[in-house]
Amino acid sequence: MNAFRFSTAPLDTASLQREMRDVTCGGFAAFEGWVRNHNEGMAVTRLEYEAYAELAEKEGARIVQEAIDQFGVSRAACVHRVGSLGLSDVAVWVGVSAAHRDEAFRACRYIIDEVKHRLPIWKKEHYENGDSGWVNCERCAASPAHDRDYGAPTNYLHEHAHGHDHDDDEDGDRELHPLAAPDYSRQMALREVGPDGQARLRGASVLVVGAGGLGVPVLQYLAGAGVGRIGIVDADRLEPSNLHRQTWYALADCGREKSTLAAERVRALNPEVRVESHALRLDAGNAERLAAGHDLILDCSDNFATKFLLNDLALGMRKPVLFASVYQYEGQLQVVRGDDATACLRCVWPEATRDGLVGNCAEAGVLGPVPGVFGSLQALEALKLLLGLPGLEPGEMLIFDLVSLNTQRLRARRAPDCEAHRRAGQPVAIGAPELEVQFGSLVDAHAAGFTFVDLRDSRERADDPLSWPALNLPMSKLLTDAAMLETGGRYLLICATGKRSAAAADLLRSQGFRECRSLRGGVKGLKASA
Amino acid sequence: MPELTIRVQYYALLREQAGRSDETLTTGSRDARELYAELSERYPFTLPADMLRVAINAEFGEWSQPLKSGDAVVFVPPVAGG
Repeated sequence: MNAFRFSTAPLDTASLQREMRDVTCGGFAAFEGWVRNHNEGMAVTRLEYEAYAELAEKEGARIVQEAIDQFGVSRAACVHRVGSLGLSDVAVWVGVSAAHRDEAFRACRYIIDEVKHRLPIWKKEHYENGDSGWVNCERCAASPAHDRDYGAPTNYLHEHAHGHDHDDDEDGDRELHPLAAPDYSRQMALREVGPDGQARLRGASVLVVGAGGLGVPVLQYLAGAGVGRIGIVDADRLEPSNLHRQTWYALADCGREKSTLAAERVRALNPEVRVESHALRLDAGNAERLAAGHDLILDCSDNFATKFLLNDLALGMRKPVLFASVYQYEGQLQVVRGDDATACLRCVWPEATRDGLVGNCAEAGVLGPVPGVFGSLQALEALKLLLGLPGLEPGEMLIFDLVSLNTQRLRARRAPDCEAHRRAGQPVAIGAPELEVQFGSLVDAHAAGFTFVDLRDSRERADDPLSWPALNLPMSKLLTDAAMLETGGRYLLICATGKRSAAAADLLRSQGFRECRSLRGGVKGLKASA
Repeated sequence: MPELTIRVQYYALLREQAGRSDETLTTGSRDARELYAELSERYPFTLPADMLRVAINAEFGEWSQPLKSGDAVVFVPPVAGG
């Protein structure tokens, strides 16, 4: 069957489910939307659905395909009713089958949410008192504030039921957000933006890796500008030491996942943005899946492992990546286009560049506005790139010293012996297991066959001993004493918060320890889930 | 051999260790590698040249690239903070 279709006949959910059977799948999740007997205090007796079928079928198929790409599920489908429906009839059906339940649930949720937000479907409710009205035209409700007439909502919605000409879509619950989107008129007044530029931004999809000092201004400005879809990747939880530079968040948010917090802030700023948050660390096993469907990637991370992985992804998927890094009072900005002709990060930096060499914000210190400036520059370059305006050249590096206020633009050439360029166009995922893994307890982790390696120093171990025997290999001895580990061993590396263990797992992987993993959240995470 | 006049700029850890962000100096060094070695004797630099990149006149270059009087040399360490 078509991945997305409309049906004028009642839905036979049993036969729809049979079509989703697949011997490779261990889980099936379905969602059914039913006609209910009330809406906003009115007793409803029946409904009529009408759709702009040509547009909706294409967009619906796109949504289902996005879910398949994004969550790696085996089969997904959605059927939406049109015509007249009685109470308790199935109005929409979504089914997903997958190897495991988690992705089935997530893909199912994604499809129904996107269908509700993006498809031009209208609903006419017939009430017990004989009245009727067209309601919940979510596409119209979400159109930009400046071309919406609040005075005559019902007629307005009805008129638009035919010849719908809005390209925009999205979330727009009028009760919750009386204004469904910011007014973009101040940026549209720029000759270089205008309605065409605004449409380009709305059609764009950007992945932001890191929701910290750089990620905060990036997300603020991209969401404010009306970039249509934003993905956020960050494995960390907010800490009090982040707040001096991550001023979008609140003291009371400490302990919460930054990816979730950032997504909430984006939605509050601009409900029109489709935002997806991923509370995980980018690694070779998930990078391509996370980047799929995005036009541009912004590196707002704080470590070389992620930066080089994103560089390889740029070349692997031929997607542009905008890099920013800060150090104390200065920073670097670089754009990698992912083509054969221009320089990438590996053309510039020696192979030996690794974390721990020059220090990050925690080790070296940083003044709050420094990542603020660089995140803002990154957002600026991203918008210019999406709008087709001139900016930083591919391969070029901008260095800005915020003490002396000196700037440098350094040109880099494509290195003839660049290893990343040699592998360009090839998949980044090498079939290695994901770097990080999460467990509620060490008992569960032991049951999964892991041997534990405690990377904490002796004082940390004494303060907070593990509840299960572990090999003690302090971070400082990792390189010299790694010989105590077997290359094929199934090791779970553990530290206080999961940061050191992720860096160590990355390092050990590069030395052939293919099966080693990092415990996400570390000892702190175990306590939180206990 | 005549001495060369070179403008040098330092970034990140090198700026910290040199205690300055730029200077103009005269040197007998013939290329960037020699210049960095010379400066490493004057300042407590901990990063080996192999971990850095050098840019000469706003273009990333090779350590063996000959210097000439009036060149602007920038030593750039990698940074990763975010």
